Amino acid sequence: MATLPPALRLSEIQKSFNGVPALDGVSLEVAAGSVHGILGENGAGKTTLMNIIAGLLRPDSGSMEIMGNAAPVGSVRESRAFGIGMVHQHFKLADNQSVLDNIVLAVSKSLWSRRGRGVLQNIDYWCRELNWTLELQKPVRELGVGQQQRVEIIKALCGGGKILILDEPTAALTPAEVDELSSAVAGLANAGMTVLFISHKLQEVTRMCRVISILRRGKLVYSGGVAGLSMQQIAEKMVGAKVDVPRLVQPLGHAESRVLLELQSVDYRIGKREPPLLSQINLRVHAGEILGIAGVDGNGQSELAAVISGTVDPVAGRIMRSGAARADAPANSACIPEDRHKEALVPALPIVSNLLLRKYRHRPYVRWGFCRFGKWRTSAAALMRQYDIRSRGIDDAVCTLSGGNQQKVVLARELSDAPEWILAVNPTRGLDVGATAFVLRQLLDARARGAGIILIHGDLDELLSVSDRVAVMRGGKLLATPWPQFTRELIGRMMLAGA
Amino acid sequence: MMIARIFRQIWNTATALTLAALVCAVVLVLAIGAAALLGYPPLRVADLWLHGAAGSWYSLSSSCADACPLLLTGLAAGVAFRAGVLNIGAQGQFLMGALVAVALSTRMMIFHQPALVIATALTGGALAGGIWGLIAQYLERYRAVPVVLSTILLNFVALYLVAAALQGPLQAVGTAAAQSPEIAGKYWLPLFVPYTDFHIGIILAFMLSVLLWVVQERTVFGFESHVVGLNPDTAKAMKMPVAWRQFQIMFISGGCAGLGGAIQVLGQVHFMTAHMGDYGYAGIAVALLGRLNPLGIILSAVFFGFLDTGAFRVEESSLALPHDLADVIKAVVILVMLVLAGISLRRSRRAAKSERTTSAETPSA
Repeated sequence: MATLPPALRLSEIQKSFNGVPALDGVSLEVAAGSVHGILGENGAGKTTLMNIIAGLLRPDSGSMEIMGNAAPVGSVRESRAFGIGMVHQHFKLADNQSVLDNIVLAVSKSLWSRRGRGVLQNIDYWCRELNWTLELQKPVRELGVGQQQRVEIIKALCGGGKILILDEPTAALTPAEVDELSSAVAGLANAGMTVLFISHKLQEVTRMCRVISILRRGKLVYSGGVAGLSMQQIAEKMVGAKVDVPRLVQPLGHAESRVLLELQSVDYRIGKREPPLLSQINLRVHAGEILGIAGVDGNGQSELAAVISGTVDPVAGRIMRSGAARADAPANSACIPEDRHKEALVPALPIVSNLLLRKYRHRPYVRWGFCRFGKWRTSAAALMRQYDIRSRGIDDAVCTLSGGNQQKVVLARELSDAPEWILAVNPTRGLDVGATAFVLRQLLDARARGAGIILIHGDLDELLSVSDRVAVMRGGKLLATPWPQFTRELIGRMMLAGA
Repeated sequence: MMIARIFRQIWNTATALTLAALVCAVVLVLAIGAAALLGYPPLRVADLWLHGAAGSWYSLSSSCADACPLLLTGLAAGVAFRAGVLNIGAQGQFLMGALVAVALSTRMMIFHQPALVIATALTGGALAGGIWGLIAQYLERYRAVPVVLSTILLNFVALYLVAAALQGPLQAVGTAAAQSPEIAGKYWLPLFVPYTDFHIGIILAFMLSVLLWVVQERTVFGFESHVVGLNPDTAKAMKMPVAWRQFQIMFISGGCAGLGGAIQVLGQVHFMTAHMGDYGYAGIAVALLGRLNPLGIILSAVFFGFLDTGAFRVEESSLALPHDLADVIKAVVILVMLVLAGISLRRSRRAAKSERTTSAETPSA
């Protein structure tokens, strides 16, 4: 076979935002028909690079060739015409429209042409190719995350995509769904597609890709085969220094110690006629243990978190929280919610205000109803040092921080007052290796201090590495497991059984 | 230390407002240029305008008296918007305040004691405005009607309620027009400079803005209502009394507008018709120009007052330049300010984004 031109060749791509370089002379070649992994920490420039390829951003300098032809940069339409399809980390789907309409919307060239029939054939072709089934008439919001991702992929393929960019495609998927995705990716490569696979999860990338490129601080530090590189070596290339990949093992801690939080036959549903979202939940959290709750997203985890944190009341059952009598005391419980922008932070306000959101109304931060900003600032400055929050100062708005630093703001606020029990929901979602290790270590420190922690987490590996006990959430029910006598695979099967 | 901080805060406010002032100046110059193009002598227009707005104690006082209701409706909008309560019903609240104040000073004069009548009329007006606002907040909280809708609809209810009252129980004797009797001179707001329009309502309004600034920037209440406005979900998760704060803010907001109406009838016009001006709607513009900051709202209200009063003098003069020009200027200023706000928002977003993409975190081991 004659040597094909590379599917994609980038030369000397340079991009800076307000004078701060985000990509610094990145040159990259992606062979046609390959699955190419792009690795890098948060903020390394992966997404910026992909947005440039997809035409969403215009680079300051540098050029791009697709299939040997010079391609214009900075135009989504041109990039799509050259066969680039991007599946964003946060799906770009119209929730209230059907699957078919979403695909047609993306494929139509203008407002007036709805090329219905051609699209149907196209969808059918790709579904058979990938061995998928899609319910075309269902509104997108009724689909699970995995199904929505399939819609996104089919959408990109039907738009004539030859080079498919998957931005953090596994972030929200269960282990089984990840397996299915990886076989689909392999199928796409066999069908002659080129796939760019972006992730910061090493295991997945090394499993799915034979060629990887690693970005660090806007520079390409490695591009080549995976074979011969150990996980440790890849991780070092990503972060530029030796780190231990977070695998924090410890002996099983708790004896029959104090119960800090207890749920007794808790039921929850929204409408009277709706099916229950939580049924007969019983759980206990003791001092000095981490109770991990695994499960496929959407099996009642968010409802459980809401019931525990008290934002909604259960329909039936009892919840006992230790120390709840002291309602006006600075919180003896802490909550690290799933969506930090929505429920934990006020992004537009400075760091100092966000750090004080729990205790601003308690002594000594208030006097006669007036805020004592001096005390606020000393407290915030101390927390910033203690939790290593990187910014120019405590007056910077939280929205200017990176994801990891934003999560550190949440941790600093929630964990600094030695809470008795902690509810953490997906606390490492979207964080890089270093920040993930930091978050997990904070939870382990709190456990060592004697706090009871309930960790609802979608990442099974991380969950298993820090939990004393593990329960599985499925269809609104909580199932105990004999972890650690159980294997990871068995727990994975429990998560999916009957689904 | 404390004083230095307060000073710095005022300074930050000041720099933000310099921009607004600059925009106003540029637009004014352009407007006078436009007048020149239309064939009016530009220097004479400028001269008349300035004289009309601030050429004498009397014109100065009438500018301030015109700014006074704008200031209060501006505060009404500003306080509410900052807390995420989209009260655009200052007009209705203003009218209700004026109506109750007229009723209390022409029909139910308490003991006929001027001080007592004035005090009850002002308090009654503020309460009426506040309660009128609370209706909207109640509808949102318990009946899921958005405040934006209900406040604007309640404006019309207030308008027709006023019209009905002015043709019914409050109608002046011996007239067929929908108007109230004139308030007796002893119940007018006292003047602090005689033979001008400087009534104590102006001082009251200024003091209220300073008070609201302190409440917004320095107190727990102000902090909480700001957080509620920016992110109600986080506020709820932090166990802030979200709904209660929204009710309080709505009451304060409506109260400001109602007080504006009461001050307007007791201090300025002294009787009531259904046509009390568009102060409520103009207040939204005043609040935006003042960047929702009570001190900024003082400046923008005064600017609007000067603009209006000056424009009326130019219209009354031999030049007869239509005073609508003042409204055009206001509209242009607001548009420019909104565009600038949009630009600065985008810039800060972009800066934030670039920071995020470049500040790769190193492991914090």
